[in-house]
Amino acid sequence: MMRYFINGILRENPVLVLMLGLCPVLAVSGSLRDALGMGVAAICVLFGSNLVISLIRKGVPPQLRIPIFIIVISTFVTIIDYTMQAYQPELYQMLGVFVPLIVVNCIILARAEAFASKHSVFASILDALGIGIGFILAIGAMGFFRELLGNGSVGGKIILGQSFHQNPVLFMVLPPGAFLVIAFLMAAMRKWRSQ
Amino acid sequence: MKRNTFKLAFILFVAASVSATTLSLIYTVTKPKIDEYRTHTLQSNLKEVLEGATEFEEIITDTLWRGAASSGELLGIAFKVFPKGYGGPIETLVGLKVDTTIAGIIVASPAEGMKETPGLGIKVREDWFRDQFRGRKQQELLLKKDGGALDAVTAATISSRAVVNGVKEGVERYRRHLVEGE
Repeated sequence: MMRYFINGILRENPVLVLMLGLCPVLAVSGSLRDALGMGVAAICVLFGSNLVISLIRKGVPPQLRIPIFIIVISTFVTIIDYTMQAYQPELYQMLGVFVPLIVVNCIILARAEAFASKHSVFASILDALGIGIGFILAIGAMGFFRELLGNGSVGGKIILGQSFHQNPVLFMVLPPGAFLVIAFLMAAMRKWRSQ
Repeated sequence: MKRNTFKLAFILFVAASVSATTLSLIYTVTKPKIDEYRTHTLQSNLKEVLEGATEFEEIITDTLWRGAASSGELLGIAFKVFPKGYGGPIETLVGLKVDTTIAGIIVASPAEGMKETPGLGIKVREDWFRDQFRGRKQQELLLKKDGGALDAVTAATISSRAVVNGVKEGVERYRRHLVEGE
């Protein structure tokens, strides 16, 4: 059972190995805080959708899998959006922008289709947590390196000195920097896996 | 075959209905909370852009307010402008004092529908950028690039220029409301 959890973190890391969900990883990783925000919002939806889909998996006819999964996922995204706005408005100020973006995160649909629709509830929850943590690690690493090089800071704290902060490697926080960093991360991952 | 089609349509119908019911329930429960928070935020934002004012009279719904001190003395107006930025309109709340200088501005957060690029254009929300407007007159509202005195956010000229022009146009449009009874 535990391997379902551990698999998603490194060996089957959704971003760096399965190459899923690259769109949010490239787009929302300009700073560590944004990246972690996106990661946390995604793991919440992934947890909810995997749970519900594995619960209803026996009642869903094969032809209707995709439309029903999409209904479940978008319902969850909207529930989280409203609930957070109502009860955690401060948190919503930070994460709110990422919540609607989760609908386009294909990791969620991929796990629903490839895992939750075929496994028990408990296994699906472990899978959601493992994949979610893997996603947070990947997007967090992206955010860390891009912010460090592109702004001289980590989580908004300037650590590379004021002169670097005034004149950083600006293109790292721009789209080309995202592609560059993810290439290095993927290369490192392949190297580690091949050993 | 035909029976099967009906069966599938029915299942999808049930799934969609369950989803719709859940969502409308959640909406009904959370809506008052969300509105309450919005009103609360608006009041504190108004107080921030027009320092000293405590009483706000809404002149144009959700767009223009006249702010007075608790003594009743008119201090200025506050208004919302929506200049077009890089990703969409940038909602900006502006406070304008009776002497026609800017008292302060607040740029809406992404959660409130602002769509500038995270890490770039979004920095027009930062204090150093907003503070540059304080005490400025309408004719001073120009970026350094355009021959003025305001710094733009690095690599986000479009967003910066949008906010500056939006504030400027807003001052032009609403200035006449500084005179009481207008």
